[in-house]
This record gives sequence, C-alpha cells and structure tokens, in this order.
Amino acid sequence: MPFVWKLLAKLKLKLLTQGHRTNRWKKKGEMTKKNINIALIGNPNVGKTSVFNQLTGLNQQVGNYPGITVEKKIGFCKLPNNIKANVLDLPGTYSLNASSVDENVVIELLLNKNDKLYPDVILLVTEIENLKRNLLLFTQIKDLEIPTILVINMIDRMKYKGITLDIPYLENQLKTKIALVSSRKGIGIEELKNVITTYKTISTEPCLNASSIDEVYFNNLQKTFPNQSLYKLWLVVTQDVNFVNLNRTILKNNSFTKTNSELKRLQQKETIKRYQFINETLKIGQKIDASSATDFRSKLDSLLTHKVFGYVIFFFILFVIFQSIFEWSKTPMDFIDRTFAALSSTSSEKLPPGAFTNLISQGIIPGIGGILIFIPQIAFLFLFISVLEESGYMSRVVFLMDKIMRKFGLSGKSIVPLISGTACAIPAIMATRNIENWKERLITILVTPFTTCSARLPVYAIIIGLVIPDKRIFGIINMQGLTLMLLYLIGFGMAILSAFVLNKVLRLNCKTFFVVEMPNYKLPMFKNVAINVVEKTKAFVFGAGKIILAISVVLWFMASYGPGEKFNNAESILLSKTENSTLSKFDFKNKVASYKLENSYIGIMGKTIEPVISPLGYDWKIGIAIISSFAAREVFVGTLATIYSVGGSENDTTIKNKMAAEINPDTGKKIFNFASGISLLLFYAFAMQCASTLAITKKETNSWKWPLGQLVFMSSFAYVVAFIAYQILK
Amino acid sequence: MIQEILAFVTLGIALAFLFKKFFFKKKKTDKNCGSDDCACH
Repeated sequence: MPFVWKLLAKLKLKLLTQGHRTNRWKKKGEMTKKNINIALIGNPNVGKTSVFNQLTGLNQQVGNYPGITVEKKIGFCKLPNNIKANVLDLPGTYSLNASSVDENVVIELLLNKNDKLYPDVILLVTEIENLKRNLLLFTQIKDLEIPTILVINMIDRMKYKGITLDIPYLENQLKTKIALVSSRKGIGIEELKNVITTYKTISTEPCLNASSIDEVYFNNLQKTFPNQSLYKLWLVVTQDVNFVNLNRTILKNNSFTKTNSELKRLQQKETIKRYQFINETLKIGQKIDASSATDFRSKLDSLLTHKVFGYVIFFFILFVIFQSIFEWSKTPMDFIDRTFAALSSTSSEKLPPGAFTNLISQGIIPGIGGILIFIPQIAFLFLFISVLEESGYMSRVVFLMDKIMRKFGLSGKSIVPLISGTACAIPAIMATRNIENWKERLITILVTPFTTCSARLPVYAIIIGLVIPDKRIFGIINMQGLTLMLLYLIGFGMAILSAFVLNKVLRLNCKTFFVVEMPNYKLPMFKNVAINVVEKTKAFVFGAGKIILAISVVLWFMASYGPGEKFNNAESILLSKTENSTLSKFDFKNKVASYKLENSYIGIMGKTIEPVISPLGYDWKIGIAIISSFAAREVFVGTLATIYSVGGSENDTTIKNKMAAEINPDTGKKIFNFASGISLLLFYAFAMQCASTLAITKKETNSWKWPLGQLVFMSSFAYVVAFIAYQILK
Repeated sequence: MIQEILAFVTLGIALAFLFKKFFFKKKKTDKNCGSDDCACH
C-alpha cells in the first residue's frame, strides 16, 4: 500500500496487542508485579499532587496555580489488606482531547495497555467548587472501561460554600465509588485508601454510549475493530487532530475516515452530550445554597486584578519581598560568612602544613562558604514565592500579566514559565509544554532564561553588597533591596521585549488561547510552604554545591601550581627585585603570593582573556569567575572566594572583605567599584551563563540551532550592555 | 608527600565528577523527575 494511514499502525500497536501484562514489574525495589498501579488524573489545580503526597508520603511540589506538574511522577503507597501500589501523578488535563504535550502524556498512557504503568485503577481527582467542569474528564475516563474512583477534593470548603452532595445518588448515576477528601488537611485519605482496595468491584460500565455521538460512523468503526472498546477507538482516531495534519482519507476502507473539521465537530457533539448527562446528574446530586456562600472572593478578585490597582498591589508586594530579602538576611549571612572565615583560618593553623591542608583551607572551605552564605536569601525568596503560590495570588498575577503579554504577542500561558523561571529556568522551560502553539512555545523557551533565576541571586547579592550603599531613601526604601528589585524587573522586561522581537521575526500567526483557573484564596499551609522552602533550598545547595566544590578543587590546583621559572622561583625573583625596598615580612609574603597567582596556570589563562574583558571593567580574576560560572552562575562567588584565598592578604578573612579590598594595580582603584559593579550586574542579568539551560533547550526544541542562537545572542547582548554601562559610569 | 597524594586524588575525583556531570548524559529512569529542578545545577 503506497500510503498507509498512521492510524492503522497505532491501532495495531496500541490495541491489538492487549495480551496479559506479564513481567511488567521486574524492576528492582518497590516496583514489583504484585503492586497495583494507581493513576491520579484530573483537571489542572484540583490538588492531584497534594493527594499524591498524602498517599505516598512524598513531598512533590504543590502550588495553588495550574501547570505545575508537566511530567508523570511515581510514588509508592501501602494500602490496607497488605496491598502495595505504585501511584502515578499525571499532568493536569481538562479533557482527553489533548491539545498540548503535557495533556498528551495522559492519553498516551491510557491508550497503551502494554505500558508498564498502565493503571489498574484511576483516581479521578475533582474539586468541590468546580465539580461540573471536572466531571467532563471523569465521564471520558470512565468510558475507557478502567475502574475509576471519583475523588472529590477540598471538601473542607463544602460548608463554607453552601454545597451539599447526595453521594449515594451520584455513585449510582456515575457508576462509581466516591471518596471525599481534603488533601490539604489530610481528611478522608484513609477512607480513600480503603476504597482503592475495592477497585476490582467498581463498575467499568461507560457513562456515555459512544454510538450516540454519530450512530453510522461509530457502528462502522466498531465493525472494523470488533474486539475493541469503542471509545478507545474514537480516541485513537482523534488523538492527533490537534498535533499534526494527517491525511485521513487514503485508507481503502474509508467508511469511518473523516476530515479534521468533521472530527472536531464530532468532538464538540461528544462534549455537549457529556455536559447534558452531567447537568442532569448534578441537578439532583448537588445542591448549592448561594445564600450560605460569602462573596469575599469576588470582591478581592476585582481588587487584585484591577487594571490599575492590580499592578500597584503587585509591585508593592514585589517591593516588600526584595526589601525583606536584604533586610532579614543580613544577620544570618554575616554569621555564615564569619563562620567560614574562622573555619578556614583554624584549619590552616591546626592541620599539619602541606598541599592538602592548603586545598582544604584555601580551596574547599572558601568555595563551599561562597554558596552557603546565600542560604538565607534563597530561603526567604522561596518563602515569599510559596506563600504567594499557596494563597492563590499567583493565578491573579498570571491573569494580570496576560493583558501585558498579549501586547507583546504572547498569551498568558507563557507567564507561568516566566514566573517559574524565578526559581530555575530548567523546570520553567519544561513548563512550556502546556503551550499548544509551537512557535509561541519556542519563543517562551528562548526568552525564559532572561527571567532572574535563584542562581543569579548570589551574584547580585554580593555585587550589590559591594557597590550599592546600604542607605535608605526617605528613611524607608533600602537602596540595595531596590536595586535587586530593579534587576528582577529588567530581566522580566528583557524577556517580554525579546518575545516581541521574536514574534515579529518568526511571524506567529495563530496564538494560544489562555484559560486560567482562578483558584480559591487559601491560607497558606505551613507544611506546604516549609516543604517547598526546604526542598528548593536543598536543591540549590546540593545541586550547585557539588559543582562548586569540584570547581573549587580544580581552581585551587590551577591557582597553586604553574609552569616555568616565574612561578617556581617567585620568591628569589621578587627578592632580587625588592633588594633595596623596605618591605615588611608580611608585605613581602603577600607580594610573593600575588606574583605566584599571576604566574600560575589560572593566572596565565586569566591574563590571556583579560584584553577581552577589561573594556567591561573586569580584571583577569573576574574573567576566570565568569568562565567557570558558565557551569552554574552561583560558581562565580565560589570561584572568586577560592582565587582570593590563594593569592590574597591574610588580613581580610570574609569573602566580602576580600572582594572589597581588591585593588587594580594599574589604576590603583578598587576592582569592585560602582561602574564595574553595575557592569557585572547587567552582564549577569542578560548573559546565558548556564550549561544546563542550554541542554534543556536542546532537549525541548530537539535541535542545537536554538540553544546556540540563545547562547550567542544573550552573551553578545550582555557584553554590549555591560560595556556601555562601564564606559558611561567609569 | 601524603598531603600531595591526597590533594591529587581529590583533584582526580573532582575532575571525574565534572566530566561525568557535563559530558555524560544521565540515563532517564521511570522514577525520576519531580520538583528537584531536574538536575538544573
């Protein structure tokens, strides 16, 4: 056959090979074939991950805004009667008519019985206030003839919202078992576990007779594949409608082939039929007493999303956050800095002298100190972000930003990755998977690294601390906090400006429609906030910490060893040079250390690149720090700490003091002055200093063309801006 | 001498770690990926 319709291959692969799932669980550990598979499915932001955490005891990130889960996550759960289960948390989807990559993850799994994660039972998670809309997905899943339990989450809000449910009636109509839970408060979780153990007794009868959508068409479909579930066949037929334009008219037996627009019409008809069924069911099964519900939410919404006050409040919140980050972190940061300085000098004094002792005191301890010092600031940043997410305010920000984004050619769907980018660009770029339109997704991927990630924070904090005076404007506004806020805004501004330009260059014709879920306002749960802060801080310290530790070791070697006469005979060369001078023993020792550093491997490397970076106001040591921080931006501070420990004066102990004391031998001025500091801040605001971001861009775009373009553009732009800033300010 | 050996062994470990981190692709397992920034640093 010259043209074989892709559908045939799919049907063969996915449906005709439904043998017994033997040897599915031969992997090590808890995933054994005795375990049952539970899949958590539901609309975005209904609390699937919270239910997942409650069942598994894991601490996956949860938030009160949609689109956090973009890949499946697996956990393990012990159920009553000694039943063990693998619990799968899937990305949120509104229906089984997938239109984005993350939604397709759900359908791919449910259509493939041979998948080792194919569920034995599905927990369809819904939330009490949006039951009607959530039930659309339930009826679709139910029609796949997989045992499905309806989990109604957030029941603690039932009374508050004046909602009552007739559970026996709903169970009867929906042909399922219902579990009422509040995953935030841990209510109903044990009952849910008990219901799961009875999954084999749950009816798999469909909610909707698929034939009723179009009798002739579906009968033909069933005749062609008599042994298959009709709704599964329908899903396979329509699965790619939103992704690729397949030619669906070439099959010899074309009695059930239809054009894309015909298929979409049938999908719409299906949705209407399902909502008719849901409406009839809820008419009796759910009662809402509007008089018991308060209208606090709508009043707050109109204020927080107001076209003027909404932005004023948002900027005020940002302002408070950045002021607090600097104010509250000062004392713990000074404490950590002093502790590491003391540790370094103690190890140098107490341990037996030698290369390894020097490596510990001059390489490892300053390197680690260079990262741990930022724990307070990172923790405070994530504390604020978590509170904003948990409270439901972040969704209002997304809504607010949608209005701005549209002017720059993007939809609000791009704002979720851009906001996630404040933590790290990697998960943010992955979060673009819920953007249906490829060009819009590509633009979002390319501009997301401009948003200020947590790795930039250490660089900003140390430079701001050195070059921006710790003074207040009008007695309230801390200048350092204000500078930090401006840097965050510059990053975000650059991201949307680049999106605007890319939008013109790539000619984006059709845009993604953005539907944002407005979750209820909730008092942030201490446990969720604490977990998020601890997890993010841990990821920052241990993720970057290992690289910084390794780089510190390598840098120490490169700074402590060098080729040729100049390095090996530094002392005698300097002695002959300073024969007639009256240098003290201490000054002479420092001069030798400095001379050796300049002639070490790292010094030679640094001096080679110095002509390129000196127009930006940097010396060779900063140049080395910029190169090494390409591995991860945080390495910048650790690198300087190591270099200054090897070649610096023993009077200056803390990292900040060492950096502040650095003098340019040519000009006699401080290395970290206002001009070079601003130049460095702007360089790090715009430069693509992250190898991992390039790797994830390559992965998500499936091409080296885009990450390389990203690297070249961002680095050259950063260089030009830093150059202009230094030349103007010097 | 022992200090020199220890220092060079540490250097070897550091270089091996960095080489593995940046030049070897981590094989994706079914159990991976959560909120840990997916090896971002």
